[in-house]
Amino acid sequence: MSAMPGVVAINTFREAVRDRVLYNLIFFALMMMGAAIFVGQISIGIDRLVIVNLGLSAISLFGLVMAVFVGVGLVYKEIEKRTLYSLLAKPIRRWEFLAGKYAGLVLTLLVNTSLMTLGLAGALYYVGRPFVRSDVSILIAIYFILLELALITALALFFSCFSSPMLSTLFTLGIYMTGTFANDIRSFGDFTKNHVIQVGTRVVYYILPNFHNFNAIATAGHGGSVPFALVWQNTLYAALYVTLLLVAASAIFSRRNLK
Amino acid sequence: MSGQSQTRRLSWAPFAAIPLLLLATAALQARIDVRTRSEAAQKEDLLLRSGPLARKLSLGYDALLADIYWTRAVQYYGSRIGTPHENFELLGPLLDISTTLDPQLIVAYRFGAIFLSEPKPIGAGRTDLAVNLVQRGIDANPDQWLLNYDLGFLYYWRLKDYPKAAEVYAAGGRKPHAPLIMTRMAARVAEKGGSIETSRMIFLELYESSKDRNVRKAAMKELRALKAQEDEEHLDEIIQQYRKRFGHYPASTKEMVAAGLLPGVPVDTVGFPYIIGPDGKSHLNPDSPVEPEPEP
Repeated sequence: MSAMPGVVAINTFREAVRDRVLYNLIFFALMMMGAAIFVGQISIGIDRLVIVNLGLSAISLFGLVMAVFVGVGLVYKEIEKRTLYSLLAKPIRRWEFLAGKYAGLVLTLLVNTSLMTLGLAGALYYVGRPFVRSDVSILIAIYFILLELALITALALFFSCFSSPMLSTLFTLGIYMTGTFANDIRSFGDFTKNHVIQVGTRVVYYILPNFHNFNAIATAGHGGSVPFALVWQNTLYAALYVTLLLVAASAIFSRRNLK
Repeated sequence: MSGQSQTRRLSWAPFAAIPLLLLATAALQARIDVRTRSEAAQKEDLLLRSGPLARKLSLGYDALLADIYWTRAVQYYGSRIGTPHENFELLGPLLDISTTLDPQLIVAYRFGAIFLSEPKPIGAGRTDLAVNLVQRGIDANPDQWLLNYDLGFLYYWRLKDYPKAAEVYAAGGRKPHAPLIMTRMAARVAEKGGSIETSRMIFLELYESSKDRNVRKAAMKELRALKAQEDEEHLDEIIQQYRKRFGHYPASTKEMVAAGLLPGVPVDTVGFPYIIGPDGKSHLNPDSPVEPEPEP
């Protein structure tokens, strides 16, 4: 394997920084400061809980927006600007290009999430809360959010290989929303007495990426513990699904006629 | 040159227009508010009353949404407290949604029960809803002995169901990290439910264990009222002794002191002397800030 995916990844990251994608951090910082100052005034007994819940939800939501809207343009922009042709003229295979693009956006999300995590820690420190051992669950919740974002990025990249940014956005968000309802889809099937529907919903349940798995925000908010088995199982699940999507994206992109 | 200055003037025009337009929209909004405020007050309602549905629609952000609903419940309660005509109609649904979205939101069960059970105009006067709320909290958080403490309090103080209160305290006492006082309260309530002694024990525990200023203040208020009730019972006995000796009721506690039945003029916890009514019963001084216990 050549070093080309790494070069593409670094350039994708630089491009995101040039596009001021990380400016969302300013909004995040303002929101956390506002919450830290005002929540105690308008509610009872949930200062710390709101900081954790709001911080983790914002990390997830900002990351989701970034993963979808940047992700769907990763390949399309290169085709639109015709920069892809000069790139592919170099000794780089198409799948390497895709892998580099994917890694670049995941790196951007990693940097963004890390900085937001520091902001969250700062807000918790501001509300006068000492850091305790159970805060590991907050870090695990953030790790799960990163896994979720990696999966969404792979979805966005997959769709961007064969459709327009508008359609890719719709497909990605649609699958994300359906994926959060995965457990309900299975339950609906179980409610019916129809065997065909039951099998159908089961198949859909196992095919869809299950985003419900990655939600540990409430557990982290209450200082609960996340089982270690869930950490490695979620990691493996995300890795397998991302691999699947990148392989599928490479297969489509390699066969795509770019003329 | 004049063309250049004209262009410069034109390029500044939008910057001057922005604050003017903002002012105009703000003024217009203020007028719209006047027209719609009364309608908004009438139409205030919860669009979503189903907790499970709110949970589904939260797309995984249920914990944050629970905090928002809880804050809304606090605001709703705060804006209505002290207004006798308010019926706190949305308080129950708001608390239900908050705790369905986040079943571990202990603070919502605990304070929610106070908001719901306090008599009007301090609360909704709905002890039944408060009991349901805390019971759901216990079901969702079986290891939280504090919720048993709150439920026991509701049965004891609001519903006067002493056997049930004793049962709930005892169940709480068996939970992990429960303090010994839970078991002691269970035994005391079972043995002497409704006595001043038992009530004082419960409120003293509430006062000492709570970190919330308002809860401590309310517990102190009850402790003062209980002390007054105890003093009045004691004084009433001495008034009867006075009557036996002199054939009539004393007009004031000073007469009882003069008769040697009291060592000094008895005062309540804030220093106001008790008064004696024509019926021969002692009462709190009308000027005293201590509020008497309501008649059962």
